[in-house]
Amino acid sequence: MKYGKLGALGAGALLVFSACSGTTATAAPGTSTAPGGSSAVAAGAWCVGGTVKIGTELPMSGGETANGAPTANGVKLAIKQQNAKGGVAGCKLDINVQDDALNGVHDPQTGAKNMQTLVADAAVMGVVGPFNSGVAKAEIPISNGAGLLMCSPANTNNGVTQPPEGDTYRKTNPTKISYIRTASPDSIQGPSAADYLYKDLGKTSVYIIDDTETFGVGVGDTFQAEFKKLGGNVVKRDSAPKSTTDYTPLFTAAAALNPQGVYLAGTTPTGMGLALKQGRTVSGLETVPFVGPDGVADLGPGGTQGATITIAGAASHDVYGTVGSAHDLADNTFTAAYTTEFGGAPGAYSAAAYACAQIIIASLDKASATATDLASAREGVRANAVNSANSFTTVLGSLNFDKYGDNVHPFISFYKVDMTLAGGKGDWTFVKQESFSDPNAQ
Amino acid sequence: MTVDFRRVIRPVAIGTIALLTEYALLGTQQFANALTLGAIYALIALGYTMVYGIVELINFAHGDIFMVGSFLAMWIMTTLLGLSGPVTNLLNLVGLLSIVMFATMVGMGFIGMFIERFAYRPLRHAPRLAPLITAIGVSFILQNIISSLFGPSPVNVPQIVPLDKFAFMGGKIGYLNVFMVVLAVVLMIALQLFVGRTRLGRAMRSTAQDREAAELMGVDINQTIAITFFIAAALAGAGGVIQGLYFGSIKFDLGFFVGLKAFTAAVLGGIGNTTGAAIGGFIIAFVEVYATVLGYTQWSEVAVFTVLILVLVFRPSGLLGQQLGERA
Repeated sequence: MKYGKLGALGAGALLVFSACSGTTATAAPGTSTAPGGSSAVAAGAWCVGGTVKIGTELPMSGGETANGAPTANGVKLAIKQQNAKGGVAGCKLDINVQDDALNGVHDPQTGAKNMQTLVADAAVMGVVGPFNSGVAKAEIPISNGAGLLMCSPANTNNGVTQPPEGDTYRKTNPTKISYIRTASPDSIQGPSAADYLYKDLGKTSVYIIDDTETFGVGVGDTFQAEFKKLGGNVVKRDSAPKSTTDYTPLFTAAAALNPQGVYLAGTTPTGMGLALKQGRTVSGLETVPFVGPDGVADLGPGGTQGATITIAGAASHDVYGTVGSAHDLADNTFTAAYTTEFGGAPGAYSAAAYACAQIIIASLDKASATATDLASAREGVRANAVNSANSFTTVLGSLNFDKYGDNVHPFISFYKVDMTLAGGKGDWTFVKQESFSDPNAQ
Repeated sequence: MTVDFRRVIRPVAIGTIALLTEYALLGTQQFANALTLGAIYALIALGYTMVYGIVELINFAHGDIFMVGSFLAMWIMTTLLGLSGPVTNLLNLVGLLSIVMFATMVGMGFIGMFIERFAYRPLRHAPRLAPLITAIGVSFILQNIISSLFGPSPVNVPQIVPLDKFAFMGGKIGYLNVFMVVLAVVLMIALQLFVGRTRLGRAMRSTAQDREAAELMGVDINQTIAITFFIAAALAGAGGVIQGLYFGSIKFDLGFFVGLKAFTAAVLGGIGNTTGAAIGGFIIAFVEVYATVLGYTQWSEVAVFTVLILVLVFRPSGLLGQQLGERA
């Protein structure tokens, strides 16, 4: 009897209650005086209180800092520049920042709660985010029901938008989609990395490890299919949940099969940084290339909190990564403006977040002509942004979106780590970029 | 002198069989990985089992004490000693490791005593659920303190032991792995000698057996229990040091899963039984690594807790049997 109790107590301890830590911060916009040029227009009646908001829903704290913070900065910069021009149709812009990191790692439930908060804030015209596909899947049903536009700079999982899975997230209003994204889906990102490893780096065998999450498994699958199609040999595929602390046995087993490369299908906060660090120490894997998707290629230099290079340290040599966005921007003033404003180089998705903000601003500008109140302005933003007939001039170039919300001109940029940069701590350097056609065109 | 079957032959036999099976199934390289991981689990499991043996409390904060130990060691290495990378001079390395190990173990020992004094002692005569809930509370307090001091992202630990390896029986073994396993075994033997051969050890055993009677015989119960918590936390601290040195990265929520697995190890070996906890630690590590070798990494935690359930169903007193007093 006594031992039965012991077991029950053990089971009871598994029921751990975690406090939610979503934070709401409202940053003041930059300058509010309109410089010469466009004369200040009186805001229309729809603009209640003279200010509307763009929301951001990104992982901002802990291990995710290197992902979310530079992305949110892209939005902050766009808002500041727009306010300097007098706002949108006389209406000033503000920001509503939400953080979906729980204990330092992105969390779908926290994201869903944040999306409810943004929906409830009537002044929010559109949301930039989320960063992680798993979070997007928890949020799209909410934004779809409320008709609030989400523009994700970084989501890449195919199922987020594409049927049949994508349909399940927009059940409330199947014809009025509320979600667009600028990043290339994994059906492009995974195969691009496979092509790069096989053709550019000349490696014919690979070991794949994923983090068991929506994004990691998806990108791992597409990488694996393409690598096999090219004639390469996938020696082993493993899945290790984010609670894993010891990756050594996994890599020891894989090293016995002599892979010429490793693909880290996942993100650094969900374990791929540790996998890189520990995998490097295993005999046989000391110098093979480790390739990762954008969840690994955060473009944060060594020393940045939570960045891949910071976590993996000296193991970061011979590391390559793909990012589902363009590196060479259509508007080359962006990088300089960003660096002046925030004192560092943009992150992997700063420009894409800036583009999302530009899309929301342009849609709001168009909607303001007919809007009568905040609700109709919000709906106008959504309808204009998702309309596949509309194209938007952004920092990434001219963007428009297909009927599922996918970018019809996606890019992939390739990066590698150079350990001599950032004072010997290492940083990412740009290798090349490729453009692709509409992922849903077949 | 007669050899006691329960205390000597059975543990040795079970330990040997377990090790040989592990080696046969895993091969040299993975066996080394499993032993290294097992050393960490065993050091933590000892703390669970000692505390349970003496106050019958499942100290769910123990995994977090281990986590705090790893952060304390990291802090000593980086802030106090200013270390950042491998130390190649052997004499310096031994000196530094001794300092870090000693300081962390003593520091954690006092933290363990402090927790006992203020969180558990006031509840010693309360219903058993009360200290258990308190333990979970202490666990959260420790996690949140560390999270606010060092941030929620992984923190790097300077790997002061060079990651060099030597060839051994068809595999390559790191010197660090050898150091970890030897250290764990030495600490376990020291613990056995302490409990079995010293006055304080006798006081601990008598308190575990019958607290009231021990008190009547002049044993200072409060002091004995405090010392038990000191030793348990010091061992967890030693585990924390080697965790940081081996993995090079620690995180504030590290203690939860590691603690749960070490707890499983303690139950597997027979809670209250220190030898059992050590053997249990190595078995749990083996189950985990073997699941990985078979390609079922996702299922490794399922495998570990399945073992726990099977043990509770078929051999509720663990592999080596419980060592508890009359009231148990």
